[in-house]
Amino acid sequence: MTDLSMHLTTDEIELWAQGLLPAARALHLADCSLCRVEADRERKVILELVQLPHFAPTAGFADRVMAQVKVPTPSDSWKI
Amino acid sequence: MVAWAKQGHDAAFRELVRRYERPVFSLLYRMVRDRALAEDLAQETFIKVLNGIKSYRPEFKFSSWIFKIANNAAIDHLRRKSIDTLSLDGAPNAETPEQMRATSLQLGDRAESPLDEVENRELGKAIERAIGRLRPEYKSCILLRHVEGYSYEEIAETLDLPLGTVKTYIHRARNELRGYLEDRRD
Repeated sequence: MTDLSMHLTTDEIELWAQGLLPAARALHLADCSLCRVEADRERKVILELVQLPHFAPTAGFADRVMAQVKVPTPSDSWKI
Repeated sequence: MVAWAKQGHDAAFRELVRRYERPVFSLLYRMVRDRALAEDLAQETFIKVLNGIKSYRPEFKFSSWIFKIANNAAIDHLRRKSIDTLSLDGAPNAETPEQMRATSLQLGDRAESPLDEVENRELGKAIERAIGRLRPEYKSCILLRHVEGYSYEEIAETLDLPLGTVKTYIHRARNELRGYLEDRRD
């Protein structure tokens, strides 16, 4: 059983920021301003990170790759 | 899809490129912060992966294999670049102000190219600039964790790092990012 007064670990703060911390541990945040401030700061940066978009390479990227790839023919697997 | 590609189906190769081109290109772009270079490295990554598809071992996630090769390409490039980089303050052996001036790089008023404009738009946000300031090993860990949603264990396997190192890098990276972002707000 975990002591409610124990500060959250870095891993627990990450879990909380992702909404995955068990409620019993999250209760600690109601009473500990130190952990609450730390958790809020952590959540802000994680939120910014998870919202980052993927970028696309320029059009024709796949064609440029495929031009330099040797697709094995099914018969290749029979060669010794 | 990978099994299909291993049998020599051109369409399966194309599908693998289609599925992974954005995540791989995004990781590389954020690592090197140069669109054209990131695209060259992404191309190099896919060519290596697809030409070596027969050596892929299915006990590993295919995406981990691609990210491993992409990350190695970026790190190799960044290492080469750090060796080649000339200091803006002049040659390392320059001691007097005159020697420093004589050997320093002169930056002219270079006009912004359309590619620069795209890069400024894409990587101009505070969080992107903050990521750009991280050490390369922190960058790859934090991007795999929070952009690709990898677990710590998957990152350790992908980057061939001990689990404890991955945790340390990610925690330090987030601390540094918080610092950069909070400095900006002050």
